Amino acid sequence: MAKYAAVAEVDGVFGALADPTRRAVVQRLGAGPASVSELAGAFPMTLPSFMKHVRTLETSGVIRTRKTGRVRTCELDRGRLALVAGWLDEQRRIWEGRTDRLERFVADEIEEQ
Amino acid sequence: MTHELDLTLQRVIRAPRETVWRAWTDPDRLARWWLPAPAVARIDRLELVPGGAFVTRMSEDGAGFVPHIDGVFLAVDAGTRIVFTNALDSTWRPARPEPVAMTAEVTFADHPDGTDYRVRVRHGDAADRARHEELGFLDGWGSVTAALADLAEAEAGP
Repeated sequence: MAKYAAVAEVDGVFGALADPTRRAVVQRLGAGPASVSELAGAFPMTLPSFMKHVRTLETSGVIRTRKTGRVRTCELDRGRLALVAGWLDEQRRIWEGRTDRLERFVADEIEEQ
Repeated sequence: MTHELDLTLQRVIRAPRETVWRAWTDPDRLARWWLPAPAVARIDRLELVPGGAFVTRMSEDGAGFVPHIDGVFLAVDAGTRIVFTNALDSTWRPARPEPVAMTAEVTFADHPDGTDYRVRVRHGDAADRARHEELGFLDGWGSVTAALADLAEAEAGP
């Protein structure tokens, strides 16, 4: 069911953001795309360790990366971040729909009388 | 005091309050609007007292029924208010319902055009709580969104 896929996706986003380094990367990318080496320079860790974080962010869909020559550029995917707000919209649709149907139901009932 | 995880809606329904109340509290009537067609709802238990069971099932095709809501009523004020939650199941056992735990408060008031119908749904977190706490700086989904927006909008450090 799509609903559960969405929950899993949202969980992926949360997982990706559950680490201070990764959150700092997201924050930095909020200002615009940046290369991996540019980003890595801001963190006291080895490049392989940093790359692991980049891959986690990429797997969850929070960021996209593309390679041009020897430079890998990272970019924020805002749509994916918006996912975490999506479930609330879904609940709203359910309750709005429910209220629409209740409204129609009582209108029909009154008409039948 | 609304919380950012609350969902509120208000509608003036052009029918007397008793009619709207009956549509909600009579199982046969409730079953006819509770789910969007073509899905079919079955109201198994509708015990309109505090602590009473609220159990519904749903079917996509009218044949096989699967659980839908398994909750309890927290407050029922005749003609004016119904409150139920799925955070406890109908046997009062704490539950972790999919997709999300909620408390729904539905109020009915007289209005010149019929009924002032309001729904307020208080939500818990759809995410795993442990993970949620892990996030530390985020407190609830609504603020997650706000925090993410801030993060995304924030200028890089000075």
